Amino acid sequence: MKLRAWVPLALMTTLIVALGTYAAVGQSAFLTPYNLRNLLLMTLPIALVAIGQTNALLVGGFDVSVAGLMTMCVVTASYTMQPGTSWLALIPGALALIGVGATTGIFNATLIWVLRLPSIIATLGTLSILQGASLLLRDHPEGTINSDVVNALNTSVGFVPYAFIGVAVLVVLGDLWLYRTRSGLALRAVGLDATSSRRLGMGTGRIVFLAFFACSLMASVAGFYLAAEVQIGSPVIGNQALESIAAAVLGGASLAGGKGSFVGTLLAALFLSLIGNVLPLFQEPTEYALMTIGGLILLALVLYQAPELLARFRASRAGAWRPRPRGGEAPAA
Amino acid sequence: MSIPGPVVLSVRGVSKAFGAVQALRDVSVDCRAGEIHAVVGENGSGKSTLLGIASGLVAPDEGTIEINGRARRHGTPAEARSLGLGMAYQTYSQVLGLSVAENLLLAMPRDVRPRYGDAEEWATARLAEFKLSVPVGALAGALSLAERQLLEVVKALLARPKVLLLDEPTTALGPTEIEQLHGLVVAQSRSGVGIVYVSHRLPEVLGIADRITVLRDGISQGTFDAATMTEDALVAHMIGRPLQLAFPDRRVAAEEAETVLRVSALQGDRFGPIDLVLRKGEILGIAGAEGNGQVQFLRALAGVERATGSTSCNGHELDTSSPVGPLKAGVVLLSGDRARESLFPVLSVRANTTIQVLRRLGRVGVVRRRRERRTVDGLAQRLHIRMTSIEQPVQSLSGGNQQKVALTRPFLRGDVKVILAEEPTQGVDVGARFDIYDALRAKTREGVAAIVKSSDPLELAGLCDRVVVMSRGRIVQELRGDELGERRIVEAIVGSGAAPRPSSSEGTAQ
Repeated sequence: MKLRAWVPLALMTTLIVALGTYAAVGQSAFLTPYNLRNLLLMTLPIALVAIGQTNALLVGGFDVSVAGLMTMCVVTASYTMQPGTSWLALIPGALALIGVGATTGIFNATLIWVLRLPSIIATLGTLSILQGASLLLRDHPEGTINSDVVNALNTSVGFVPYAFIGVAVLVVLGDLWLYRTRSGLALRAVGLDATSSRRLGMGTGRIVFLAFFACSLMASVAGFYLAAEVQIGSPVIGNQALESIAAAVLGGASLAGGKGSFVGTLLAALFLSLIGNVLPLFQEPTEYALMTIGGLILLALVLYQAPELLARFRASRAGAWRPRPRGGEAPAA
Repeated sequence: MSIPGPVVLSVRGVSKAFGAVQALRDVSVDCRAGEIHAVVGENGSGKSTLLGIASGLVAPDEGTIEINGRARRHGTPAEARSLGLGMAYQTYSQVLGLSVAENLLLAMPRDVRPRYGDAEEWATARLAEFKLSVPVGALAGALSLAERQLLEVVKALLARPKVLLLDEPTTALGPTEIEQLHGLVVAQSRSGVGIVYVSHRLPEVLGIADRITVLRDGISQGTFDAATMTEDALVAHMIGRPLQLAFPDRRVAAEEAETVLRVSALQGDRFGPIDLVLRKGEILGIAGAEGNGQVQFLRALAGVERATGSTSCNGHELDTSSPVGPLKAGVVLLSGDRARESLFPVLSVRANTTIQVLRRLGRVGVVRRRRERRTVDGLAQRLHIRMTSIEQPVQSLSGGNQQKVALTRPFLRGDVKVILAEEPTQGVDVGARFDIYDALRAKTREGVAAIVKSSDPLELAGLCDRVVVMSRGRIVQELRGDELGERRIVEAIVGSGAAPRPSSSEGTAQ
């Protein structure tokens, strides 16, 4: 990875440490195992869906249907993972959620690759379909989720849920794959320039297809943890789509495709839930959290582009105006 | 020439239509191992479509393709590559945001592919074999166009193809690099690779090819033995009539004409200091091996490239700190990168033509469409722009016609003093070239002066009143009058010590 790619990771780590220290000093309730475990559990759904979203962003697309898919998974869980269900019946119950994710993934990927719809439009359609389907199954919050399942999902060592450790390992492996293997390189190449990638002899269609499939699959896994959080079959759709895109972008993903980091995404997801966790401790209304997140996204985007902005500024001071780097005159990297 | 080997690429009865346009009609071409088979034709004659079909990027409506004796089934670039076909695209197939080594890695089939961690070391070694010195860790987007073009060919060769397709492989190259490329191509053919060479530069084609196939309007005009062909005969096949006049008449040289542009000690990143005087009605050519500061100098005059020193236009100091100063003073740049820097590809011919002068075509802020149309129609006729209507998007025109649309703008502005043309006929077919030369000459007859930067010595010799040769960022020679000939220009370029630069990261200034 180039130095530039580390900027988002460094920024997110700094912000987490800074906000964490501030909270620990100001509020004794923050650094308790109970609160920290809660924080990590809250992070899981958004982290999982944001990791999936990072795949979509890497190939230059968006998936706004993830929120609908997660809700659909919660509603499905309220049928297939009801209290009193035997462990044997829970396995197909869990597989049903994954099945919803896989089906949605194939549906989205087909719309985007085979029918060549812009991903944001295609997934907006899917979002609406999933929303309707969720309301059809549960017109109001009803149906408790099996508490054994919830407990199993939330099993922790100390204050750290096993699942969080799993996700941490996953993102490190993910980044190693992305920046240290040929197939990871191929994913980034397709996001940077699909035409050239095709000419280079890559299966661009398969790569885009798999990226959106992976995105939905991760969203359905996130659905498990959302179900463990709400614990009832609620058809109300959250704003996970925007949050997941926000986390991916804060973590270093480029909306133009080809750039991003799974580790960065996890750190950003952790930071976003930290804001949500800390503000109530200080009895601050959550409206501030929303505004802070919005401001931070803008700040991060400016900061990540700082090298380019700085170069442009210097150039304009020196009296040259360049529309964009052009072959032959761009400085060597 | 060479002993004919087995057929490595066989294209049989291929037809392809894009909408109402029949790009190819029942075309058959084959290429044998060890042969250099050139395909020539005007822009829009179907050359690129033919290569696209052979390489699997474009699906043919009819016809079959066999690579290395085996029929193609899926028709994807990946399959063609695995059967032994390599392709160097005209517009390149490099992901600019990835490094040179990463691009090469992605282009390799499984059997010759290095591990990701070894990619840079592997790429350095491979590029050295081909005597191409570019930094493998640099982003492909940071290379010069010439370096990218050479890299494109080498990239295709690294996969060890049986047949190599080259689509206009020399458009961004200077004479020395063309020689380097041709040396490489000939060496490959000697070692048994079949080569399909598409170019619009006929002297190159005649110098290198064993056989030549001519396309016109998507129909093959036949395949000829290169040894029996002349440039005139090829042109006759390409355009269906003998080419009578290649360049418009020069005006009588006017040494005492007033000065339009005076450049004193202009210096930038990659050029200078340069002193130059441009007179009214003059076309000045800039020659040189690619990457010797010609482009940067031209763009500095237009205020697009940073420079120090002074420039005056008609006696007034020209502010070149931004493109606004030159534009207001009537110094206009025709960028070599038409699609990105001078045209709005999705907009119509009409919109692209009048975009700078809409105020003049309207009344109280509303454009009078009829007047606009009349203006554009008149210009389109004058410049012979080939199109179905002035509402056609510019991106659907051929390269030559796109360039003509860009050229309409100086015609609409009555106050243009200097036209700076960067590679005005790059990727432009023979017929359209003359129209462009004629248009430039017509403007200079009105008193406008022009500077033409071109990598084609023949073009400079035929079009310009005076040619300066640049090397390492400075003017090393000036040719005028009887000295102006393709040979003299090439000699001046080759003799000026402008050897290919060792790497892109080293500037050539001073």
